[in-house]
Amino acid sequence: MDRNDREILAALEGGLPLVPEPFDGIGRPLGLTGEEVLERIRNMQKDGIIRKFRARINQRKLGITANALVAWDCNGRPAGETGGLLASFPCVTHCYERESVPGRWDYSLYTVHHGYSRNEVEEEVRRLARRTGLSRYLVLFSTDEFKRVPNVRIRENGRES
Amino acid sequence: MNNRPATDSLDLRILDALQQDIPLVPRPWEAIAARLDIPEHELLKRLETLSQEGILRGISPIIESRPLGITAATLVALPVPEERIREVAAVISGYPEVSHNFRRDHRYSLWFTLSAGDEKTLQKLLQEILEMTGFSRDDILDLPTRKKIKIDVRFPLGRDRNGGLHGQE
Repeated sequence: MDRNDREILAALEGGLPLVPEPFDGIGRPLGLTGEEVLERIRNMQKDGIIRKFRARINQRKLGITANALVAWDCNGRPAGETGGLLASFPCVTHCYERESVPGRWDYSLYTVHHGYSRNEVEEEVRRLARRTGLSRYLVLFSTDEFKRVPNVRIRENGRES
Repeated sequence: MNNRPATDSLDLRILDALQQDIPLVPRPWEAIAARLDIPEHELLKRLETLSQEGILRGISPIIESRPLGITAATLVALPVPEERIREVAAVISGYPEVSHNFRRDHRYSLWFTLSAGDEKTLQKLLQEILEMTGFSRDDILDLPTRKKIKIDVRFPLGRDRNGGLHGQE
């Protein structure tokens, strides 16, 4: 990844321009053609720097207002296998394994759920619990979103690699 | 309570299509418009409107943290009393290393994600945040990421809601 790659990612952070040939516009200030920009994006995808290239949607504005983080206690079952099972459900948008705080917080798997209502999400989580056989879990609904930005932002916190 | 702007079924079909990977071709909008069987200018006009309404946040690459040298991450929960929540949240949101900062319905009321180049820097940052906000290690939950098992943020739009994007479970 070189300086031009970094500049391309930084330019794309504002979103792909809504014009017929958007990659030309990204390349122009860098002295690159649209085709050169595309080639660099493809390479970054191949190298695993770009995971995906897609829309970020503000789901709240579409009525998808319920958001829950669910903490699961594996209860002695292997976390890797159980996490894989939880992640296999389409309704789960994120699934992470985390360290627990033994004796104080025994949850080690975390899933994120979105829905049109709390009821819908609660029902979904109950179904997941039944299917996985996990009986100890905590549903944490969000009530305020103070900050939500992509994890990696080139302009704000990119680091030299 | 419901402040949902008027989106029609074509808007939802467009948003649904954009949740999939954007085709890496010189005229990506033309390619997506063809998939949706609408003219390119119609797609662009709709995208403008969806952006202006704040429904579409932007179409950009999702960048992996590890190749950029960010190798340590954690989820932290603080038991913040009701009357301090906004003050404490503002301090935490001010850190560029914090990407998500949500209030949740629990005694541990403020949950944020923190990431850094390495474990040592991460712990130093967390220590600083705790000092700034007046919490101690014993008050909080520090839940370091062991493994990202799945990240796939797609919503069931423009299709049968119960079936979702991937069909029935």
